[in-house]
Order: sequence, then C-alpha cells, then structure tokens
Amino acid sequence: MSCYYTGLARSDLKPPVASRSRRIKRCRCKCYGHPKTVMVMAVVAAAALRSSSTRLSRLLPGVCGEAWGHQARRGAVLRVLPFIPTQDPDVIKKMPEDFRAVYPEFLPGPKPEYRNRLREKLERQDMLARRSVMPIPEFYVGSIMAVTVADPNASGKNNRFVGICIQRGDAGLRAWFILRNVVDHQGVEIKYEMYSPLLQSIEVLRLEKRLDDELLYLRDALPIYSTFPLDMEPEVMQEGAPVPVNPIKVQLKPRPWHERWERKNLQGVMDLGLPERFYKKAKLHEKPWEKYDLMKEYRATIPEEEQADIFREISPHYPLMESTRRRGKRKRVLPSIS
Amino acid sequence: MNQAEIRKLIPAVRVAINAKHRKFSNPKGPEGRLTMLRKTVTELVKLERVELNYQRGDEARGYAERLIAMAIKHGDRHIPTMEMANYWLTEKQLVHKLFKVLAVRYKDHTESYTKLHKAPNIYPGFYRERVVLELKGNPFPPLEKKNSSHNWIHNILLEEAHQDYIRKKLKEGERSN
Repeated sequence: MSCYYTGLARSDLKPPVASRSRRIKRCRCKCYGHPKTVMVMAVVAAAALRSSSTRLSRLLPGVCGEAWGHQARRGAVLRVLPFIPTQDPDVIKKMPEDFRAVYPEFLPGPKPEYRNRLREKLERQDMLARRSVMPIPEFYVGSIMAVTVADPNASGKNNRFVGICIQRGDAGLRAWFILRNVVDHQGVEIKYEMYSPLLQSIEVLRLEKRLDDELLYLRDALPIYSTFPLDMEPEVMQEGAPVPVNPIKVQLKPRPWHERWERKNLQGVMDLGLPERFYKKAKLHEKPWEKYDLMKEYRATIPEEEQADIFREISPHYPLMESTRRRGKRKRVLPSIS
Repeated sequence: MNQAEIRKLIPAVRVAINAKHRKFSNPKGPEGRLTMLRKTVTELVKLERVELNYQRGDEARGYAERLIAMAIKHGDRHIPTMEMANYWLTEKQLVHKLFKVLAVRYKDHTESYTKLHKAPNIYPGFYRERVVLELKGNPFPPLEKKNSSHNWIHNILLEEAHQDYIRKKLKEGERSN
C-alpha cells in the first residue's frame, strides 16, 4: 500500500474499505507530504551514502529517519533504539560543563517522531556557517538584548529593537527568542529567529539570568518591570565572572491574568496575594509523582553520550565560537584607571 | 516547543524504548500508573526474574535501567538518588540491595542491566504476549541456550579451508624469500 501524498510504499497502511472512514491514510513517516521535498531529501541521502552499497529504493522509505538505525517500528509503534555514537569515542574531547547552557540550540529537540539525524547534522553545519558570518552572543532568559533586522521599509533599511528576553525555544536553525519592551506605554514582544539571514546583529546589553526559565509573567506584571530604554548602552561585565542571577521579585497587576500564575510555582514574583481558594485549587492540580517519573524526564532530554557526540562533531569550530564569546564579553569591560 | 531539557545530564538508557509512554489506564490515573510500575520494579529487584505481560515488562524495563544507572553514577551518598530509590523500591532492604549488590555488579557493564525474553503463551485464554524480565547476572539457570554454530560440518570445513589457505600463503612467502 502506498501513501496517497508521497507515493512511498508503506506496509502499515491499509487499503481503503467501503466500511472504513473515507479519510485518506497519510504516510506517517512525517515526510512533509510533498513529493518534491521527498525527492530532494532522497537525492541528498543518496549523495551522502554514495560510497555504501545501500540501494536508493531501500533508502527512500527511511529518508525520514528510520533507515539510520536510530528508530524502529514494532507494528505501528515507534521504538527508539539505544544510542550509537557517530564520532570516534577514542578521541578524547571532554564536553565543557556549560556547553548545553551556552549553545542550547545545538542540541536537537527530544521528540523521536520529529528527529532526523541527517537533517540535524546538516543544520549544525549551517548554524556554524551562519555564526561565522554573524556572531550570536551568549544570552539567557532575563538578559537585555538589542537586535537589528534588515527591513526594506525602514529608514536606513535596518530596524533596531531593545528588549528583555522572556523566552527562548526550539532547536537547530529554527531556534528563536522573544524580546519584550514597553514602548509609549504599549507592551511589545518580538520573536526573532536566531539564524534568520534577515538578522544583522544581536548584542547583549546586560547579560544576566533570572530565577525562572520563562518570564511570560511579565505580561501580567507592572509595566516598569518590562521597560528598558531603547538607547540603552551595553553594561560592564567582569571578565571571567559567572553569569549573575538577578533575584528580583516582580509585582503582578491585579487579576485577570494570562495564565494561572499561582499554579506555575514561579520564583521570580512577589507574593500573589490571592484568596485561599486559589491555592487550594492549585494544590489539587499538583502532580507530586512527576518528579519520580524517570522515563518522562528521560524522554524530554538528550542523553549525555549524545550531547558529547554532538560536541565532538562541532569541536573543530568550538575554539572560534569560544573566542567570539569571550571577545563579546571583553568589549564591555571598562578600561582600568591607572 | 520541541526543546531539550538541559538542567540535568542523564546517561543514555541502553535498551530500546517506546517513543511515547504507555498510559496503562488506571483508576488513579498517572499516579496509579507509576504505583503499578513501582511494584514491578520492586519485584524485579527483589526476585531478579519476573514473568509479566509484554507491555508492563517493557515499560518497567526503562525505569529499572534508569534507576540502576543512577545508583551506579551517583552512589548512595547522593540525596536525589536516595529519594528516587526510596520511591521506586517499596521494601527498604531493597534500597540496600540496589546500592550494595546491583550497583557493584553492574559497575563496569557497557550494555543493558536487564534482559527481556519472550515467554510461552498461557493457553487456553485470551492471547497475552508474555515476557520474562530479568536482571543480568542473576543466580538462576539461563533461560535461553546458546546455539553455537562452531561444530556444524560446513563451518568446520570452512575453517579448515581457511587454515589451508594461510599455510599455502606462508609456504609461498618462504619460497620467495
């Protein structure tokens, strides 16, 4: 039986029967559904494995990840096989402790259904190429940044925005972050894709972390906490010092809010001052067993060996990335008075 | 948002796992599911070989592997590991067994700590895929016998032909010298 959209042979699709629903059975290998994309990926896969004796016809169904030995199917269920390193593990390259914190977008998304080792490898190459053209500094949620994008309709063809990073997400070339600021008493949030060629520069004006991983509660906080001058100067940073954690406790506006912040276990907000019933309801929604769920935690992470493997893959470029990072920090150090 | 958690570094599980967790419909919901798997993991650590249905065995296998890996990596002085072992092993002498016996046994293992064998059907009755989940290095006799093909006639003949070829090559080498 073949997929209606891509024409790939799939053994787990069943032929349409009069009694079954008329919904077209779509190829579940998530191959974007467009024949052209599949053909392009097949050509790439073929080029990558020209030296091996694997036939193209056997590669085609596995272009989406299953042929690479990392996934298997037991019936219709997707299995994730034990990790096999791709780089030579005898080459001793110790992964730095802060690698996953400073360059989190190099680690792929953990969902196995969406993973494709070849695509991740190609993306990492593209990310390194982009970084050599436009250096992306180290930043965290809570850092104040200035981003200039190319805009054909703006005067000077560039558009600069300053804001606090409230969230960052996704992995690979899709990695993004959201900057928030209050301009003319209007809260403005802009989502920037880090590897978009439209981005001209990313500067970190104040490098710091906060008590929470996401600062979406700033939408419901007093505007003073999200207001930063648009002409803010980059701040002083001690060379070699660890990234400071800002222990600020933000005051929220009165309800209604965008989310039930009392259920989110936020560290960076002042006492919410809600009636007792809210906290009682929040307690009912708590899931205290989740911290013991070892497999849930595992499925949300990339294992240690895989992170080390990824680091080994990009380690030739790592010294350049680190020198760019240190150079960015050093620029903001004030000259010593002597 | 498909973004990996970076707060903890977790070693890879050395067995195949399902991409998604199995829900195991339970009157108590997700908490009941963990309680049920907790019982399985406790039984496995206590008895070192248990016969179960495939779905429950495969799910518990992941948890058992992770628990043992944590015990090996962090040891018994590490508080989060102790709390995890305390939760997963309902009998407290098994916590001692985990750290003093199993962690020591599997300290230098590079492969998985558990093995899942297919078990015979229970007949008659509704077909349930049965498995035997066991810890490696258990004191019981092995469940599967190793079928060595070393003594098969064609392998003996091939081995001899290979030795003949090597002898011929050596003779030719001596002659040329």
